Amino acid sequence: MITVSLVDDDRMLREGLRSWLAGADRLRLVAAEPTVDALLALPGPPAEVVLLDLVLRDDSRAEDNVRRLRAAGSRVLVVSTVADRTRIVSAVAAGADGYLTKDHSLETLTHAVCTIAGGGTAHSAELAFAWAYDAGPCRPQLAPRELEVLLDYASGLTLKATARRAGISVNTAKWYLDRVKEKYQEAGRPTYTKIDLARRVEEDGLGRV
Amino acid sequence: MAVGSGLQRAQRFMILATALYRGSHLTMGAVAAAYRTSGSGLVAWGLFAVAVASSLVLYATAHGRGWFARRWVWTDVVLTGCVLPLVAVALAGGGTGDGPPAERANAAGYGWLFLLGGSSSAAAGTALGVRWGAAAVGLLLATPLAADLWMAGTWQLPDPGTLRHLNSVAASAVMCRVFWWYLRRQGSLLDAAVAKAVSAEAQRARQAERMAHHRALHDTVLATLTTIASGQIDANAPQVRERCAREAAYLRRLVQVEDQAADPGPGEGPDMRTQTATGERTAAEEVSVTAALEEAVRSAECLGLKVTAQYHAVPEVPGPVAAALAAAVTEALNNVRRHAGTGHAYLTATGTGPDGAVRVTVVDRGAGFDPAAAPAGTGASAPAGTCTGTGLRRSIHVRLAAAGGRSEVDSAPGEGTRVELRWPA
Repeated sequence: MITVSLVDDDRMLREGLRSWLAGADRLRLVAAEPTVDALLALPGPPAEVVLLDLVLRDDSRAEDNVRRLRAAGSRVLVVSTVADRTRIVSAVAAGADGYLTKDHSLETLTHAVCTIAGGGTAHSAELAFAWAYDAGPCRPQLAPRELEVLLDYASGLTLKATARRAGISVNTAKWYLDRVKEKYQEAGRPTYTKIDLARRVEEDGLGRV
Repeated sequence: MAVGSGLQRAQRFMILATALYRGSHLTMGAVAAAYRTSGSGLVAWGLFAVAVASSLVLYATAHGRGWFARRWVWTDVVLTGCVLPLVAVALAGGGTGDGPPAERANAAGYGWLFLLGGSSSAAAGTALGVRWGAAAVGLLLATPLAADLWMAGTWQLPDPGTLRHLNSVAASAVMCRVFWWYLRRQGSLLDAAVAKAVSAEAQRARQAERMAHHRALHDTVLATLTTIASGQIDANAPQVRERCAREAAYLRRLVQVEDQAADPGPGEGPDMRTQTATGERTAAEEVSVTAALEEAVRSAECLGLKVTAQYHAVPEVPGPVAAALAAAVTEALNNVRRHAGTGHAYLTATGTGPDGAVRVTVVDRGAGFDPAAAPAGTGASAPAGTCTGTGLRRSIHVRLAAAGGRSEVDSAPGEGTRVELRWPA
């Protein structure tokens, strides 16, 4: 059983997801709040995975929300109604482990949450598309093979078909996609000052030796 | 060089017309120098060279800049219109002898130098404006009169030959002034009309698109929400939910497309008018690929297919190309609906370069097929790898190829199907 929290400013969607997840026997919804502040103010241990709406009405930035939730000990799956590519890229660079539009089936959502809870990345065609055509200033250098896999996966192919077209194994294809995420997350963690560096060491758990 | 705006065309015409006028006078000079009966060849050709040099400077700069440079017009007026005729008179014998100066200069083989005043005044009348043009023409008219005075020693009424010359100098300037005034007015009117037509066309296109959206929203989202709000139907019924999902997908793409439109690429926005005015590209020829594909997606959705569509920097292409792409996408989506065994297709459309190239993919995660084992369609003429196999691939391939594009179908059993369309091929 995986514990899940939801941050979404639309009450109807919160109620909707609550009743929806009641039908998923592998997930347990422990909290549903309109803001990250409200969620973090709750007592008790953080949920394993937080479903975070990309755009919240309290004007908070998605990347800040992701960092705070990660710091609190949860993994983050970003969801949104509209695939706003720039925001998606920043949210994942800030540490989210996947992205889905809200129109996916319960099965897809469950699968994504399980993947993330297990330490993996929930890739989606929408996320791959956002990476593939990202023109932002923080875009990392992608290897030709990474780009090839990314473009095919972004077009909607399954990982298996993507791997077949590239002549590689499914695991290797997945590894390329994970590499892209790592590159973005490396680029998303600037190490400009000593304070930042110290914080990063702490984040990485390297300071706890 | 591009055709240019109406004003630019008028300017180029006046440059050409006055240049031809000057050319005719220079021809006379060349003839006079070649067939001279007296005097030094060196002097004759030297004078000709000065006239040619002044003309070249005047018209080369005018051609390069698109219009006359005032300083070279004045140089030409003073040098070829005033100085050279007086030099001719001096060479013909100055204050001695009989007859009008132009005829005497003519007899000495330098009469053609007086002609230059006419073409100088044509350029001055065109380029210098009314006040300065009049001043230049006055200078050009004074030159033969001064030559008369010089030769006769006393003031007398100009003889008919000089009057003819004065008349032609003044008439050249006045006629060119009138021509230029008329052409410039026509050119400006034409430019204004073109700009107005372009902006009206853009306005019409925007209006039509808005109306189409309004109609679509009215027929779909608004109707559904109204029905649910009235409590007439069970909002949880599968058909209602399916309809809501379809309409949500429509709104989602609408938002995405508008987002993209808010970030205008090259060739849109303020540049549009100049581009159209230079005639290199007209708004009527190029159409939005996104709009054409959206039609195809909407009709597939109406038949119950869920389509996840993503667009990036999609260029505008010629109308027939957009139509061919849309027809191919419709065919590919139909195929997903009929054969893939999945209710979900992915569509992407992306610009693939600065020159308006576009790539469209239609992908499903359904049953797929073995391309090698698929039936060979209606004939064996299809080139391998691109359109062997089913009628679907044949129809997509033929359609795209006719519009200058190409298509590729890739599939494997259990791994879905991927159709890729590219334009140009």
